[in-house]
Amino acid sequence: MKFNSDEIASVLQQEIEHFDSKIDVREVGTVLEVGDGIARVYGLSGVMAGEMVEFPNGAIGLAFNLEENSVGVIILGDYLTIEEGDEVKALSTLLSVPAGDAVIGRVLDPLGNPLDGKGPVQTDVTRPVEIIATGVAERQPVSEPLQTGIKAIDAMTPIGRGQRELIIGDRKTGKTAIAIDAILNQKGEGVKCFYVAIGQKDSSVAGVVDVLRKYGAMEYTTVICSGASSPAPLQYVAPYAGTAMAEHFMFNGGHALVVYDDLSKQATAYRQMSLLMRRPPGREAYPGDVFYCHSRLLERSAKLSDELGGGSITSLPIIETLEGEVSAYIPTNVISITDGQIYVQPDLFFSGVRPAMNAGISVSRVGGAAQVKAMKAVSGGLRLDLAAFRALEAFAQLGTDLDAATQSQLDRGYRMVELLKQPQYRPMPVEEQILSIFAGTRGFLDDVEIKTVQQWEQDFLQFARDKHGDLLSELREKGALSEELTAKIESVIKEFKAGYKPIPA
Amino acid sequence: MTEAVKHETVLDTGAEQLGKTYARALIGAAQKSGVAEQVVEQLGRLVDEYLRGSPQLAAAFASPRIDTDEKARVIDRVFADEFHPILVKFLKVLAGRDRLAYVSAVRDAAEAQLDDMMGRVLAEVRTAVPLDDAMRSQVATQIGNIMNKQVRLRESVDPELIGGMVVRVGDSVFDNSVANRLDKMARRARDGFSSQLLKKFSQFTSQ
Repeated sequence: MKFNSDEIASVLQQEIEHFDSKIDVREVGTVLEVGDGIARVYGLSGVMAGEMVEFPNGAIGLAFNLEENSVGVIILGDYLTIEEGDEVKALSTLLSVPAGDAVIGRVLDPLGNPLDGKGPVQTDVTRPVEIIATGVAERQPVSEPLQTGIKAIDAMTPIGRGQRELIIGDRKTGKTAIAIDAILNQKGEGVKCFYVAIGQKDSSVAGVVDVLRKYGAMEYTTVICSGASSPAPLQYVAPYAGTAMAEHFMFNGGHALVVYDDLSKQATAYRQMSLLMRRPPGREAYPGDVFYCHSRLLERSAKLSDELGGGSITSLPIIETLEGEVSAYIPTNVISITDGQIYVQPDLFFSGVRPAMNAGISVSRVGGAAQVKAMKAVSGGLRLDLAAFRALEAFAQLGTDLDAATQSQLDRGYRMVELLKQPQYRPMPVEEQILSIFAGTRGFLDDVEIKTVQQWEQDFLQFARDKHGDLLSELREKGALSEELTAKIESVIKEFKAGYKPIPA
Repeated sequence: MTEAVKHETVLDTGAEQLGKTYARALIGAAQKSGVAEQVVEQLGRLVDEYLRGSPQLAAAFASPRIDTDEKARVIDRVFADEFHPILVKFLKVLAGRDRLAYVSAVRDAAEAQLDDMMGRVLAEVRTAVPLDDAMRSQVATQIGNIMNKQVRLRESVDPELIGGMVVRVGDSVFDNSVANRLDKMARRARDGFSSQLLKKFSQFTSQ
């Protein structure tokens, strides 16, 4: 292969011929001091808050603090080559990022620059990074389900399109895994996914991208990455940039799922910037408006009214707690903003209950309305039963004699916990989830060894797929349990149990 | 011709505030005698020629170890003949209040305030070659017409511009230099070129 230099020269010539020069009018200032991702600029007297400015090295900045004598600018890029005395140019626009189909399948930084070596994003569509969220009249209640493919979540804390469901827990408890499974399960559902990595190790982001690619999820996913080594201002704008890209789909009647991994790091980046800008610190040294920082972000997740096309953005913000401390400042803020939380616990995680969701304190405040009817029918009360089981289990460990009713409640609980375990990267279609949970909650598992519950489930689902495909497709299409359908499921389970013999381990 | 004008990059808000206050007082006093313009011009000369030319004098002005009487004697000896009595008195007042170190801040503020009062603007003009008189008056009238104000030009020569000129009024820069145009053309060509390259990749490559 060789390059055709004549063609290239002609394109260059065209570019030069079409160049028209006008007097360049610009508003400028001078860098007084620079460091740690921020600059203090003298001049720029007409600049507006949040306006973009440009440094001589090409780095973009945002006017962040407007003071009497100077302007505080956050630098979204390389600040090491900016010098005192450099001229800063106001661009009289707000920060915007590329959007549209061109960003799908890409790994980008928060300004839309490529990180995957596939060249710049070729699109004319851009969206402002910071917009005011849609108002009351433009929205409608959450009504459509967003299946995560995780039994425990779809059954107990269902998520609807347009909902904000927080995933909260200590480090290394499988928070990201839940979000990734939710993304994997959107295959073929027409939901565009955005994974916003904030302050993460670049190696773990590379791992996530690899998984997404391996399971074919990069076809509908964009990864926005500002790793631990990016300057704080970039980490701060990353979630807004990701949301702006997702909004393009929402406002065009599509559906999007955004994962913010994680917002505690964004709060830390925002705290760093604010302290450097000498904004007064508040609780835990966070600035006074850190609540607004998160609320205005998550408020942009919405289910639009039918007049506006009925699009939606569902968001799964992630918060990392320290030693299970949910009453710290940022966790309580985000818990109060979101429509529910999935709380994952290290002790559950290490005892092999994965996903390590604590059913007692995990809730979904709006998702119930969006839950598939059949699922609602089989899993109603499951969350409370499991919570009660946990309390009972602690009590039973004291070694007291138990009456038969309590014992049976315990036995049922052990089996349900077993049934709700699910390996990573294996999201389940909703009809199979319904079958499994039906078997559990209606007592069909009570005579199965606890240890073999998972194997039983696997074999049973295989049996249903092989022999009763019509039942599965009927469940998927109808989505509700009629009496006739219930009887059918029961007969299928009985049929399976009649011929099933667990393979001894 | 001075070298390219650079902004101060050390921001001392206290000094700026002090300068404004003293400048208002100085202009007020000078205006009563109708010599505001002359006094401000002389103050500018004092800062540019004496203080910048003689670091010892500037150090003596700033030093708290030299007492007020001594400073007043120096002021009388050095400046009494050359400068207007109001300016000399003003310098003694500054000395008496231990503010002599802020003379240059006072000067900056005084020039700005005087310009403001007279309806004048300061236009900094950077060119690749020195301006001739015809050009100078043309630039001044042009800018004056646009801004609807009198124009005070501050010229500097910067060969890096290659040609054309850059005018700065306040924080606005009107840039019609050849260097800037070349720079913009390069950027445009680069951007357009890379997008064309991606679009017509197959066309550029032949087996």
